[in-house]
Amino acid sequence: MPVVLIERIPLPSLRTYTSISLALLACALYYAHNTALNPANLVISVPESKSADLPNELSSTQSNNTENVSFLGAASLLIPETLINMAYCCLFLIGKGVQKAVFGELRVSERQHMKDKFWNFVFYKFILVFGVLNVQEIEEVVCWCAWFSVLCLLHLLAELSKDRFEYLSFSPTTPVWSHFKVITLLVLIQVTSVSLLAMCGYIGVYYTGLDTFAFMIAECFLLMIKTLYVLVRYAIHLWDINHNGVWENRSTYIYHTELVFELCALSVDFVHHVHMLIWGNILLSMASLVICMQLRFLSSEFKRRIRRHKNYLRVLQSMEAKFPMATKDDLDSNNDDCAVCWEKMDTARKLPCGHLFHNACLRSWLEQDASCPTCRTSLNDLQPNPSSPEVPPPSRQHTPPPPPSPTTDQVPTAQNIMTNHSFHFDGSRYVSWLPSFSLEVHHPRNVATAASAASHSSLLDNMARQVREVFPNMPLSVILDDLRVTRSLEMTIENIIIGRVSAPPVSVIDQE
Amino acid sequence: MAGSALKRLMAEYKQLTLNPPEGIVAGPVNEDNFFEWEALITGPEDTCFEGGVFPARLTFPSDYPLSPPKMKFSCDIFHPNIYADGRVCISILHAPGDDPMGYESSAERWSPVQSVEKILLSVVSMLAEPNDESAANVDAAKTWREDREKFNDIAHSTVRKSIGL
Ligand SMILES: [Zn+2]
Ligand SMILES: [Zn+2]
Repeated sequence: MPVVLIERIPLPSLRTYTSISLALLACALYYAHNTALNPANLVISVPESKSADLPNELSSTQSNNTENVSFLGAASLLIPETLINMAYCCLFLIGKGVQKAVFGELRVSERQHMKDKFWNFVFYKFILVFGVLNVQEIEEVVCWCAWFSVLCLLHLLAELSKDRFEYLSFSPTTPVWSHFKVITLLVLIQVTSVSLLAMCGYIGVYYTGLDTFAFMIAECFLLMIKTLYVLVRYAIHLWDINHNGVWENRSTYIYHTELVFELCALSVDFVHHVHMLIWGNILLSMASLVICMQLRFLSSEFKRRIRRHKNYLRVLQSMEAKFPMATKDDLDSNNDDCAVCWEKMDTARKLPCGHLFHNACLRSWLEQDASCPTCRTSLNDLQPNPSSPEVPPPSRQHTPPPPPSPTTDQVPTAQNIMTNHSFHFDGSRYVSWLPSFSLEVHHPRNVATAASAASHSSLLDNMARQVREVFPNMPLSVILDDLRVTRSLEMTIENIIIGRVSAPPVSVIDQE
Repeated sequence: MAGSALKRLMAEYKQLTLNPPEGIVAGPVNEDNFFEWEALITGPEDTCFEGGVFPARLTFPSDYPLSPPKMKFSCDIFHPNIYADGRVCISILHAPGDDPMGYESSAERWSPVQSVEKILLSVVSMLAEPNDESAANVDAAKTWREDREKFNDIAHSTVRKSIGL
């Protein structure tokens, strides 16, 4: 579930950050160098040097040379933090570089998407590390942060590739080079995630327990599934574009790819979260609340997908049972192309009204509406399941009219308050200098409803006033109620004219 | 899905450039994105919109033609079936599932056999004959019904503005 973070943190630009990091590194090196030259510090420095803290590059230069030891001793005071910072700086630079090389300038929507994804990722991994794993040691925190930073970069790049793939597929004239760059990046991400998988297998078996291994591997799997999905979609798209003539099974392939990958990703994510909940043993904490909500979201997504698939199967089945394939004569006597895709028909299905369509074209239309696309003859037996996602459930609350109190919009608002919550991080628990801060999170579905409710309510007020001009006797609350159902001026006006909506008894008495 | 949508949009574009209907020009805003079109509609003759050239944007969904595009005028236009922000409200632009109340019969709504050309032709006829029964702009509907002269005046000034006078 994506999360919108209320971020008001003034982040420095990458350039400033890089310069600061470089300056810090230079300072640290200079300081280390000075200390190394001054043997007086040797005594103090050596005992404090912890070899575990030493970055690999420095360990390799370690020798019995006293000067070196003193250098390392001094370095170990300052350099680990600076080097970690430098590593992050490099990670950012690599990310930026790959983005510049592969995607060029990001589009506005892509940038927004990346931002959301980034904060979303940071938030959930934060919950995982501090809420579930409850990491206490600073070294462990650093390790987890490193792991998730790399994953985050890969996730963001994969997401960006997906966005870009969708955008590139909007144009027939995309140069081959652009496709090539995106595909190369996707393959690289895939390779990296496989090696990460191998790495966490190694770490899991030799160093940490099975649980940590499972936590790490789930993240790898999610990344792999995402990348592979985009790659498969890409392959289908490229094949389709470069393939002359009609590829009838295209949409079937796309549909099944989507289904398999979506279900896989949802199941892995679900198991991952259940595991977190069990392992964390953190009933009644903020983290478990967040995880439970995530679980609820995942399971509802899962159900939605299954429902859609059932609808698909039902349409497919009844289509095959009721509408025969067109005969050779039918096809010959029909000069027209398929009315849905405007392409030639070599095979087709024939509806009772005599209209012909491609099998796949007809199916995707019937999934959302049970009528002939050309003549609109109703094919009623195929009436789509009212719970299918394409067709919003018909809300026929018109007779009897809804109660005058504005209840319909209040419910989501109430929920909205429920799902807004804050997360408090007490940094001093881990290291004295870490700051403490709170995060406030709310769920965008509700944010969306809240936002749309807000914009709607002003819109509704506006519309209600317009209706009131036409019907000055109608109480505003009644108009608002009807508008909430119809969401359209003309319908409400029509309702009032027909008498479907009338003033409640109280106001009738008032008028008398 | 975008693949089939793209093919269909390319076919429509080709057809529109080969035999353009009278008074209508339409095509992708740029070649990089076939899902965003710009259209120019000439006001129909013998109506108050005669002589005007009205630009509009069409935005296609990635599952086009299963779902209808959205159409929005990029100029001010005072008309009963056009929202104040320029969105066009005609029944063929409504998806089958869009009307939970069942007020519109499904025969009038979107179906994959509709096309950009048919949409634009319906918009032209909508300009010629506003449908004040289902008004998107109540003000405009009222003016059109009750004070035709004022409506024509506003329309004329819109026309003048649209051709840069
Ligand atoms: Zn077809
Ligand atoms: Zn038919």
